[in-house]
Amino acid sequence: MSSIAKAFAKSKLASLPPESPLYEEEDDSSSASSMSSTGTVRPTSSQRPAPVVSWSDYYAQELYLEHQSADGNAKFHVYLTPPASFKAPLLVLHHGAGSSAMSFALCALEIRKMYPEAGILAVEARDHGSVVYGPTGDVNNDLSIHVLSRDMIDMLELTAAKMGWPELPTIVLIGHSLGGAVVTDAAKQGYLGNKLLGYAVLDVVEGSAMEALKHMQAYLGTRPKMFPSLEAAIEWHIRSRTLRNPQSARASVPSLLFQTPSGSWAWRTDLSSTEAYWENWFGGMSSKFLTAKGAKLLLLAGTDRLDKELTIGQMQGKFQLQVFPAAGHFLQEDLPEKTAEAIVEFVKRNDRSTLILPPKVGDLLKQGKKV
Amino acid sequence: MSIGGSDLDQAILQLRACRPIPESQVRELCYKARELLIEEGNVVGVDAPVTICGDIHGQFHDLMELFRVGGDVPDTNYLFMGDFVDRGFYSLESFLLLLCLKVRYPDRITLIRGNHESRQITTVYGFYDECLRKYGSANVWRYCCEVFDYLALGALVSGAATTLEPSDAPFADLNSQASMPGLDQEIEIETLNASGEVMFRFARNSEQSSSAAEPSQNPSSSPLPTPARTGAPGTGASSSSYGSMGSSTGAVLCVHGGLSPLIDTIDKIRLLDRKQEVPHEGAMCDLLWSDPDEIDGWGLSPRGAGFLFGADIVKCFNYKNDLSLIARAHQLVMEGFKEMFDSTIVTVWSAPNYCYRCGNVAAILELGEDGGNGGFVSRANGDVNRAQVLGEKVQGREGPGRRYRVFDAAPQDSRGMPAKKPVADYFL
Repeated sequence: MSSIAKAFAKSKLASLPPESPLYEEEDDSSSASSMSSTGTVRPTSSQRPAPVVSWSDYYAQELYLEHQSADGNAKFHVYLTPPASFKAPLLVLHHGAGSSAMSFALCALEIRKMYPEAGILAVEARDHGSVVYGPTGDVNNDLSIHVLSRDMIDMLELTAAKMGWPELPTIVLIGHSLGGAVVTDAAKQGYLGNKLLGYAVLDVVEGSAMEALKHMQAYLGTRPKMFPSLEAAIEWHIRSRTLRNPQSARASVPSLLFQTPSGSWAWRTDLSSTEAYWENWFGGMSSKFLTAKGAKLLLLAGTDRLDKELTIGQMQGKFQLQVFPAAGHFLQEDLPEKTAEAIVEFVKRNDRSTLILPPKVGDLLKQGKKV
Repeated sequence: MSIGGSDLDQAILQLRACRPIPESQVRELCYKARELLIEEGNVVGVDAPVTICGDIHGQFHDLMELFRVGGDVPDTNYLFMGDFVDRGFYSLESFLLLLCLKVRYPDRITLIRGNHESRQITTVYGFYDECLRKYGSANVWRYCCEVFDYLALGALVSGAATTLEPSDAPFADLNSQASMPGLDQEIEIETLNASGEVMFRFARNSEQSSSAAEPSQNPSSSPLPTPARTGAPGTGASSSSYGSMGSSTGAVLCVHGGLSPLIDTIDKIRLLDRKQEVPHEGAMCDLLWSDPDEIDGWGLSPRGAGFLFGADIVKCFNYKNDLSLIARAHQLVMEGFKEMFDSTIVTVWSAPNYCYRCGNVAAILELGEDGGNGGFVSRANGDVNRAQVLGEKVQGREGPGRRYRVFDAAPQDSRGMPAKKPVADYFL
C-alpha cells in the first residue's frame, strides 16, 4: 500500500466507529480490528461522556459488513432498523456525496413514527463510511455510478444474509443528491426485480446539477478545510445555512469529519478530489429516472428545478413531484417530518400488497354483471 | 369602484396589453365572477359550435396566439379546460383576462377547473409568488383562489356535427393534396396549421391518412396570419353547415383530468359539492387529476393523485352516458393533441413550448354545429335506461367532426421575462 493510501485508510479507520469521535486513539490498531468484527456494535458509554448525538437514538443497529471477492475486500458500514415483519417494506437510504447515513437520522426516526412496521437500512458509500480495498490491498475509491449502485445492492444483500432473512423484503430505494443518482441507477439496472416497489430521489435533477458542477469547485473552496471542534463544525453548518435544523446538524455533522493528529477536525471525504466522477454521477439521470421500473417520487427543495426531460415527464404524469419551498438542499435534515410524511405516503400508496383497484369492465362482463 | 360596462372593457384592453389591473378592480372582478359561476352547475351545458382548449399555464403571449389562431371572444365560443395558472410568467394576466372575458361575455366562454386552480398547488408552482411580486401582498392570490373554488368541474357539449365541413383553405403542402380524401367524402378530422392551411384530412371510417409535413410551396398562401376563410373559426361562418348530412352525435364531455372510479354517470358529477379546495382524494380530485393509459381497467396514477384508466373504462362510460367523445387536458402532448382508444377520448394541450423549454406545439379543438336537424339538440345523457348488459364490444356513438388547429409558441417578449434564477449552491 502506498503511504498516501495508507494514511488515507488510516484516517478513515480512525474515524470509525463514529459514535465516539471525541476520544480517538492515536494508535489505530484497535479500531481497525473493531472494524473487522462484524455484528451489532452498541456504544459502551459507561465511562465516556455521552457523545454529541448517538446513532442509537435513531437506528436500532449498526453493522459492519465484510465482503470478499476477487476484486478485493470491502468493509461496509450501515445502520439498520429491521422491518417488523416479512411483509413490511424496507426503505434503503443512500446519502449524498460528502454526507453520511446520519444525514437521514431524524428523517428515519420520523418514518418509523408514522410507519412503525417499515424497516430502515441507511448505507454508507465507499470513501465515506465504508472502505473498499483492491486486490493488492490498496484502498479503492472508484466512485463510478455503477460501482456505487452495486455497492448499495451488496450492502442490502449482506444485511439480509447477516439478519438471516429468507428473502429480501419489498424494497423502496431513497437517495439524496448523489444518493439519488445511485438509487436511480440501481433501479434502472433492475438489480432488485419485482422486489423494488419504487424509488425516491431527494433534491437532485440532472439538468440543474450539471449546470451547477462548474461552480462546484468554487463553492467547495468557500468551505473551511478544518474545524477546531465538532461544535464549531456544527455551528458553521447552521450559520452558513447549509443545514437549517440544529438538531439534525448535531446528529449528522460529527459523522462527516475525522480528527487529525493535531486535534482539529477535517472532512472525511475530500469532495474536490471526486470531481472526475461528477458528470458520470448525474449524466443521463433524468432518462434513467423516467424509464426504470417502479413508482417514482421526486422531492425538491426551494424551487422547482426540473430540466426539460423531467418537465415533460412530469406534465405527462410519469412521476410524483413534491416541492418543499422552505427547505435547503438537505431537505431530509431541514424538514425531517415533512420528508418522512411524503415518503411514507408514497410507500403506502404504492404498496401492492394492500392495493385494491376497482374492477375491470371485462371482468364485470365475465361475471354477467351490468356495466 | 365598480367593474362593469366600460370599466370592464377598459380592464380587458389593459390585460390584453399584458398589464395587470389594480387590486381593487381584481377584487370587484372576482366578486362578479363568483356571482356568475355560482349559478353554473358542476357540469356546464355548452352548445356547439365551440373551440375547446387545454392547459395555458400562464403563457400569456401564447394565449394571445391562441386567440389569433382560433378567433377572438366573443366571435368564437370558447371552452377552457383549466390549468390557467402556474409555471408561466404571466399567470395573473392570463387568468384575469379569461375571467374578464367570462364576466363580459358569459355565454361565449366557459372556464372549468384544473388541478392547478388550487391554493396548495399555486403556492408551490408560481402563481402565489407572482401575485406577491406584482402586488406586494397575497390579496389578489386570495381573491383568485376564491374564484377557483367556484369553477365548474366539467362541461357537456351538445349539438356538435358529426361531419366536418372541409375548410375552404389551401393545403400546407400542395403535393399532399392528391392523397387526401376528396371533398365528396365525409370528413371526420381536419388538422390546420397556425396559418389556417390544411395539414391533414381524414375521411370517416377510413384508415387512409395523409400528411403535409413540408411547409407550403404555394406563393399565394402567405405565412402571415391571413387565413383564407370568411368568418371566425369555431363559428358557423367558417364551418358553414349548410345542411349537414351526418346524424347527430352524442354529447362531448370536457373535464380537466379524466374519469373517476366513483363516477359512473355524469349525474354523479352534478351531485358533488364542488365549492372547496381540491381534495387529496375522491371523485372531485380524480376528475382533475386522472389520466387515460394503455391499461385494462383502473391503475394507480404515478402522479400521486387520481387514477389511470383504460380503454374499457372510457368506452363503457361513453356508452352509458351517450357520449361520443371525452375531451380532456392535463397531459403534455408534444403534437398538441392526441386521440386515444379509437377516438373515444382526446387530450388537448394548448401551451406551446411548455415552460419555455419543452419544444412542443399546442392545439385547440373546434367542434362545428350540427345544422342538419334544424337546431334541435338532443340532450340525452346520463340516461340510466341505457345501462344494459353489453357484449364484448361496446359500440359507441359516432364521434363529432373535429378540426384541430395546431400552433407554435409566440415570439417571447424578453423585456417581460424575469431574470434567470441564480444557480443554486448545489451540493453533490
